[in-house]
Amino acid sequence: MSRGRSSRVITAVERETELALVARLRQGDADAFDDVFAAFNTRLFTFLVRLSRRRDVAEDLVEETWLRLVKHARRLRPDTRLGPWLFTVARHLHVSFNRSRVLEDSAAVSLIAVWPFSFEQASPFEAAAASELERRIERALAALPSTSREVLLLVGVAGLTHSDAADVCGITPEALRQRLHRAREALATALERDAATEPPALGGIASCPSR
Amino acid sequence: MSESLMRLLAELPTAELEPERAERIRKSCRARIVRPAPHAFSSRVTCAQVWQALVAALGAAYLIGAIIEAVRVYRLS
Repeated sequence: MSRGRSSRVITAVERETELALVARLRQGDADAFDDVFAAFNTRLFTFLVRLSRRRDVAEDLVEETWLRLVKHARRLRPDTRLGPWLFTVARHLHVSFNRSRVLEDSAAVSLIAVWPFSFEQASPFEAAAASELERRIERALAALPSTSREVLLLVGVAGLTHSDAADVCGITPEALRQRLHRAREALATALERDAATEPPALGGIASCPSR
Repeated sequence: MSESLMRLLAELPTAELEPERAERIRKSCRARIVRPAPHAFSSRVTCAQVWQALVAALGAAYLIGAIIEAVRVYRLS
């Protein structure tokens, strides 16, 4: 895990640059792929690690995401928005992975009804969190249903606009806003509950100013 | 609360692929992207075109047959 937001700075791909990159990708330009890879790889991998809560799974899914881009590069629409496109593929791959995992696990038939199921293990981020506050946020994030977690990750962590995040999730911007609102509330509740059950002082999130 | 919550989320640390793996993925994708259009795609296009031509031919044959039959019937009547 790395600190800071340097990777987020370089991912702010301007629209004109993005269109040029798409045009070059459509022509099979390997240098264009390098640029896209450098711009999005960290954000995609971070998204997948938090979404899947497993580093090994995220590694495989991010690799598959890039392979999908390469496979479809020549067929991309000229006005393709790379960020939403990549996050959509990554999200679909994660959903497929979860489905296949549930189906493959013969002992988990009863879990299909409550999919997405909960994991008991700590997320990689939780284990590596530098502060108690971070640990609590990671724990609360990991405990959320994946539909809530993904919108928080897309908008709050990956920095996508509401419109782009709605595209990624396949819902309308209005539905995204509602889902995001509920997810924020669920996260805040989880954090407050966590703060109440753990005595060590860390007002942290509980003392954040209300709007 | 929500603004500070979103700010906290934005400040969470990022995850990095191991450099070796990232480099392997990058090189592999570079090698694939420079290749010409995959065979599967071109064969799929060809297959679709063949089907379209076949359906068009059958449709045309049916239409011609119907016209011939109509002419025959009118001449007979």
